[in-house]
Amino acid sequence: MHRLLSVWVLISIFVAPYTQAHHSFAAEYDGNQPVAVTGILSKVEWQNPHIWFYVDVTAADGKVATWGFSGGAPGMLMRRGIGKEVLILGEVLVVEGFRARDGSNNASGGKVTFADGRSVFTASAEDAVPK
Amino acid sequence: MSLFKTTVLYVFTTVFCLLNITALHAQITAEIKLTTAGKPDLTGIWAGPGFAHTGGELDNPSASPYTTDNMAPFQIGGEALLTRPQTGNLRIDDPTAICLPNGLTRQIPSPYPQQWVQTDDLLVILYEYMHFFRTIPIGEPNRPHAQLSENTYMGDSIAWWEDSTLVIDTIGLKAWVLDAFHPADGSSRWHSDQAHVVERITVTDAMNANYDVTIDDPAIFTAPWHQPWQMQRKPNWKLFEFICEENNRCEGGVCAASDVQQ
Repeated sequence: MHRLLSVWVLISIFVAPYTQAHHSFAAEYDGNQPVAVTGILSKVEWQNPHIWFYVDVTAADGKVATWGFSGGAPGMLMRRGIGKEVLILGEVLVVEGFRARDGSNNASGGKVTFADGRSVFTASAEDAVPK
Repeated sequence: MSLFKTTVLYVFTTVFCLLNITALHAQITAEIKLTTAGKPDLTGIWAGPGFAHTGGELDNPSASPYTTDNMAPFQIGGEALLTRPQTGNLRIDDPTAICLPNGLTRQIPSPYPQQWVQTDDLLVILYEYMHFFRTIPIGEPNRPHAQLSENTYMGDSIAWWEDSTLVIDTIGLKAWVLDAFHPADGSSRWHSDQAHVVERITVTDAMNANYDVTIDDPAIFTAPWHQPWQMQRKPNWKLFEFICEENNRCEGGVCAASDVQQ
């Protein structure tokens, strides 16, 4: 079952780059500013219209910055078989997405990779998805 | 093997297959739930045109917008009414980004489930996305719509049966986004306030239905055009809450910091 879910998730990554969901990706995020961070998951907002999750990223000088990433709507993710339990506080994540247009530490969170190599798709159905 | 034996074997195999196909078709047809009036009963949870329709519990919200190739030729100036370049104003670029309604033509292929409740003279459609609903009286074909005071996001819908196909006829739509087509240039597609939308729903088996949408928008197109879609039952799904204002944190790309970011 877990393997089936993984395959489904991977399929989802590649089949839903630009369709439709809540908003226009171009209105909020800059497709020319890809973001990839590694950090510790510190908070999850499993809410509409998009989930948000936060990752504490420690820079070389020891300073910690908290990045926020948006994903799909809870219902949209759950119908793909992705539940809230996928995101576990304290886990180390690599998150790839595209930065918000205001240049803040916020981005669309297209792809999450866990320390054990598992990849989870959390983007909205319309968001650009990192390859 | 002789020609005779080969022929007999071929005929026997063909008849056997045809009988099986006929039996299977009869079984599927028998499973289509009918109302006491003998019409298909559309009551239930559906993954509308905004899903891939996997046939299983899990599905993929991945609908394409209306297909450009299906559209009729433009009226003079029609293309500029259909496609609006990005303005920086979310009311034009994408009203749903500030939690305004998506409107009928965009709601139909929304990648969220919808629940249909049908009686002999009424169809109610409950959409998960933004909690929209439609109450659609079912009656005589091609009867006039009620007098409308003003155009609305979902318009005025009436329905009737043409044999086993349910026809939903909608007018009174305000000019609004046609669909969720979001190319990288940030442009959007719109219909006019003259749009006349006809949905035709034909159940094809116990789990699936054809969902054809015809759009007649004489301000933009020279003729009606037709978009063929499908929908699929998801009997174990239920509608979830969808509160757009709950956590819409990055309107227009300007993000409000969460508490953990402050």
